Amino acid sequence: MIAAVKKMDFLLEKLTTYLLVVSILAMLSLSSLSIVVRWFQHNITWIDPFVRHLVFFSAFLGGVIATGRGTHIGIDIIGKFVESKGWHHLRNIISKIIAIASIAVLGWMIKAGIEFTRVEMEFSKIEFWGISSGYLVMMVPVGLSLVALRFIFVFILSFEEKAEVA
Amino acid sequence: MSGAIAGFGIVFLAILGTPLFIVMSLAALVAFTFSGVEVSAVAQEFYRISSAPTLMTIPLFTFAGYLMAESKSPQRLLKLAETGLGWLPGGVSIVALVVCAFFTAFTGASGVTIIALGGLIYPILIKDGYSEKYTLGMVTASGSLGLLFPPSLPIILYGLVAKVDIDKLFKAGLLPGLIIMIVLSGWAIYNSPKAIAGAPKKVFILKDFLQALREAWLEALLPVAVLVGIYGGFVTVTEAAAFTALYVFIIEVFIYKDLSFSKDVPNVIIESMSLVGGILLILCCALGFTNFLVDEEIPLKIFALMKEFLHDKYSFLLFLNIFLLIVGCLMDIFSAIVVVVPLIIPIANDFGVDPIHLAMIFLANLEIGYLTPPVGINLFIASFRFKRPITELYKSAVPFLILLIIALAIITYVPDLSLFWFK
Repeated sequence: MIAAVKKMDFLLEKLTTYLLVVSILAMLSLSSLSIVVRWFQHNITWIDPFVRHLVFFSAFLGGVIATGRGTHIGIDIIGKFVESKGWHHLRNIISKIIAIASIAVLGWMIKAGIEFTRVEMEFSKIEFWGISSGYLVMMVPVGLSLVALRFIFVFILSFEEKAEVA
Repeated sequence: MSGAIAGFGIVFLAILGTPLFIVMSLAALVAFTFSGVEVSAVAQEFYRISSAPTLMTIPLFTFAGYLMAESKSPQRLLKLAETGLGWLPGGVSIVALVVCAFFTAFTGASGVTIIALGGLIYPILIKDGYSEKYTLGMVTASGSLGLLFPPSLPIILYGLVAKVDIDKLFKAGLLPGLIIMIVLSGWAIYNSPKAIAGAPKKVFILKDFLQALREAWLEALLPVAVLVGIYGGFVTVTEAAAFTALYVFIIEVFIYKDLSFSKDVPNVIIESMSLVGGILLILCCALGFTNFLVDEEIPLKIFALMKEFLHDKYSFLLFLNIFLLIVGCLMDIFSAIVVVVPLIIPIANDFGVDPIHLAMIFLANLEIGYLTPPVGINLFIASFRFKRPITELYKSAVPFLILLIIALAIITYVPDLSLFWFK
């Protein structure tokens, strides 16, 4: 079970890394291209909304990486205090509570995202490349699902770390 | 009653260390549910960020900053600044301040400056005869120095959240940023080993300076190009971000060849996007919650309450300074901007504080918060980086903290410094 989760976590990390590299390079080249063509009185209208949506989806991908590394921004007053006291067992319990709470909240957000997508599909408008806004809005539940999936992997793998410590 | 329990639960999760975007999402979901609004509205608010025209500046400037921090750019720029300014009293330390401000402006005070530059600057200052206490304090303070200079990520984020023109904020930050630099440079001169021990005098050697300039001119040109480009009206902030990222990418990978395209660039992308992803997720989630608070007229209620204790603009500003110093040492700057700014803006507006001046007060305050004991994040990063007990860092940081508070007072009570360009 743990080995399978580890493998899936590794694959998710790899996939996210590749997608992020492609996204950033695409952002870089397309936004520069857009400026250059504007100098020659041309305008590639799809670049701007496309790049903005690329940035939006990259936020989720960055979130997947930050979840795996445990580098999400948080207030963490109790966590820091517990760590400074060297109470590792309590720190592990706190990490598990955080993971469970995060998975539950993300589940609720995904549900909200699906509902929003359903409504947007009914009243959608074309954004670029003939893609309707309903499909673009789908990024919200899909992106949040990726982050939730990483939280699930992190939660399961935290039991393995405990076994290794023991 | 159920609202109070939910509120307590959310605050408890926050101080436990739950990622802030989860806390903000939960707060928005709970608030919308209690007020009878469909929770799909939270997702709608989440998606709204994708229509912000300046959104792409965040990943592009951050990517450029991380590329430079990972390359040999810090060494080259330090050498250039040292050969150019090292002969001045306190010159080496002033050089360090300038280079740190440059890097922080590009990397957004995410601790990268202390990690990337601290290791270079620390031995240089010690070798030059600066005391260990001063050196540690200086390197720790430098981690957030430059936040008020373009193209600082917190300024961009503030502009997005507060709906204030980012070009104007970039302009407004110049003089307050300079004030902070001048105050700390004065302290550097006061602490300079020449003044203390009468160490041998350094001289300006043109040949060395030109050699360093030849090596670093491509990077030294960058802040000048960004400033002239934006302030001269030649490019917009978004265009400046795209060109900066492309320019840094080309010089570091193909001209200096400090970074390998296949090995180093993906790592830099992952490092920078892990930060950007974290920030953007908080921003997306917070939009829903803070809009709910504004719709419920919470800032107006707070304002009415504050009016009982604070009677004029200056008592409000003093309260704001103290409040933000506390916020700054408890929360990182990105969370603070997203959470606090939407609440503060209407209140400050009612007290007659200009939104641009407010931005400068806010950012200068949080810049100091990074250094404020007991939990200012720069103290922890420096403690980790230099393997020193945190209490030693507290002692080293105190003189810098006092000086920065003096600079903050000037920025807060002399609004013309922030509004000079708009008169």
